Amino acid sequence: MQNRFLPYLLTLPSLFLAAVVIFWPVWDLIQISTHDVNRFGQLRELNDFANFSALAADPDFIAALWRTGQWTVLVVGGALLLSIPVAMILNTDFYGRGIARVIIMLPWAVSLTMTAVVWRWALSGESGMLNSALIGLGLIDHNIQWLASAETAFPMQVLIGILVTVPFTTTIFLGGLSSIPDDLYEAAALEGATPLQQFREITFPLLKPFINIAIVLNTIYVFNSFPIIWVMTQGGPANSTDILVTHLYKLAFRIGKLGEASAVSLVMFAILLVFTMIYVRLAMREQRA
Amino acid sequence: MSLAKWTVGLMAGMSMLAFAAQANAGEVRVTVAEYSAKTGPYFDSVKKEFEAANPGITVKFEVVPWDVLLQKLTTDITAGTNADLSIIGTRWLIDFVQQGVAEPLDSYITPDFKGRFIDTFLSPSIMEGKTYGLPIAASARAMYYNKELFEKAGIANPPANWTELQEDARKIKALGSGTFGFGLQGKEIETDVYYYYAMWSYGTEILNKDGTSGLGTPGALEAAKLYKSMIDEGLTEPGVTSNNREDVQNLFKQGKVGMMITAPFLSNQIKDEAPNLKYGVAAIPAGPTGARGTYGVTDSIIMFKNSKNKDEAWKLLDFLFTKEQRAKFTQGEGFLPVNKEEAKMDYYVNNADLAAFTALLPDARFAPIIPGWEEVAQITSDAMQKIYLGGDPEAGLKDAAAKANAVLKK
Repeated sequence: MQNRFLPYLLTLPSLFLAAVVIFWPVWDLIQISTHDVNRFGQLRELNDFANFSALAADPDFIAALWRTGQWTVLVVGGALLLSIPVAMILNTDFYGRGIARVIIMLPWAVSLTMTAVVWRWALSGESGMLNSALIGLGLIDHNIQWLASAETAFPMQVLIGILVTVPFTTTIFLGGLSSIPDDLYEAAALEGATPLQQFREITFPLLKPFINIAIVLNTIYVFNSFPIIWVMTQGGPANSTDILVTHLYKLAFRIGKLGEASAVSLVMFAILLVFTMIYVRLAMREQRA
Repeated sequence: MSLAKWTVGLMAGMSMLAFAAQANAGEVRVTVAEYSAKTGPYFDSVKKEFEAANPGITVKFEVVPWDVLLQKLTTDITAGTNADLSIIGTRWLIDFVQQGVAEPLDSYITPDFKGRFIDTFLSPSIMEGKTYGLPIAASARAMYYNKELFEKAGIANPPANWTELQEDARKIKALGSGTFGFGLQGKEIETDVYYYYAMWSYGTEILNKDGTSGLGTPGALEAAKLYKSMIDEGLTEPGVTSNNREDVQNLFKQGKVGMMITAPFLSNQIKDEAPNLKYGVAAIPAGPTGARGTYGVTDSIIMFKNSKNKDEAWKLLDFLFTKEQRAKFTQGEGFLPVNKEEAKMDYYVNNADLAAFTALLPDARFAPIIPGWEEVAQITSDAMQKIYLGGDPEAGLKDAAAKANAVLKK
């Protein structure tokens, strides 16, 4: 009898911890977003979801929502496509592999904000390194104002997002690759399988659980990522590079609409929750089959 | 046995807590904004001097970067963990007053104390007849111009109005070699203010007399067209929307920009970073009718209503606003004097740069004291960025005026 309750009893402390760290803030957000609230977070009366309907009517929010989708898909997808070959190369034995691994991992060791600050300088129109390098190479003949408009700023932000996501993704894949036994490849080579076939039939299927976990973790992380866009453009010019989290920050701490900001936060939470649940379901079903 | 041990431990812990609480009794916590690298050391020395003169009171300064000050205050106030005193942008004060967060200081202010201040700078902190803050920092804007570029381009005097400014900018542009006539800020904080300089010259105010937004008026349109035509003609630096105030100031320090409008602290920066730059400070150009305006800004130090050490906090305020302390702070940061006696010091009287700023004070406009001002400023900045990027000024301003009026109506 006691044994049936024991597992629940044992998980109770961690459940309590999760409740304090996760459920309490979410509950707080629900409170703020459904009430009329002043700029210092003091609640007044319930307001019939006015904060949520204000969002739905705000073109800046809709644009930021759409851009967050692009941002997440491009950064996560780009990092994935780049990390698989990088991990495969780093997994082979070659002279100087240790150094190569360190170089790939290095962006991870630098804080994201610092990376973004350095890139902001590098992309500066009149005194930036990138422009002088491109002019020096003869690729362009006048300075490009990278951060002056979204057409050039947003793609650069996506590229930097990819750059800083690659180390973590590569690490996951390296772990995955080292768990694939070498004799599989030897056997396949003996049967005359080409490297491409080996990749398609052995590497990719066995790497799949690792790819799935990389997609879920990176999506959550990139979706919520604030420093790159904030440091480089603050979501500007004219909100044209805003993603949800920068939009939220402006709503809360510039304009002082804590209610609407909490509503954005809940929308983001809901999107991520639904995405993760659907994705984990699909991935698990695939594995069972 | 073990229970007894626990009890003893618990008691010891409790008594330490009680002791800690008591140690807090004479402590004054102050949130201050970090204006420059000199801010932290200045307040360190205030702490030393003040504590030596007032035994029993300890002061704790929390130095916070400007960009996150409002965020910190918002979260602190929400959680009830705010300090006793804080520096805030005076334009935020109305929110603090309306939400009952700020304590009126009138019961502490003696006529003698009030007499220390220059009225222009104290008046923005007075609301509904009560003084809620004291101006700790004051600033205005004027036009910096590069004398060397002016000489090379054969221009004798700084431009008196915008038409002359355009002509001068053309001459400086003609010098080639990566020089730009007029530095135009188009990113981040005060992007809207940079537009108001032109707007005020065309006789439009931020708010019309009836309280609606001035963005819908013909003067606002003329000003926007002026800036846009200068961008189109290549009289400004390229990529206006990628340059914030510091970026334009850096271009000026590098000698690449002929003219720009900014605050007195640029003089201090030039002294430190580009001592060989020959520059002058002049009035902001006037419009066709001779109207002109500069932006006056004050930051206030306020006392929180929930402070438990108000008397001690007031002693500190009294100390901060003595002539010596004010002079040390103001000169270090490159602000304008707010103290009458301080303003008479040789440092200010013999300073040509500062004289140009103080001469503009009669034309100074302060940010309007209305709730939702930050949102109106954001709307204006966004509209300007769209216009600078090539959008139609008329449609952009009409849209912005409608949005601003919706905020102002609330």
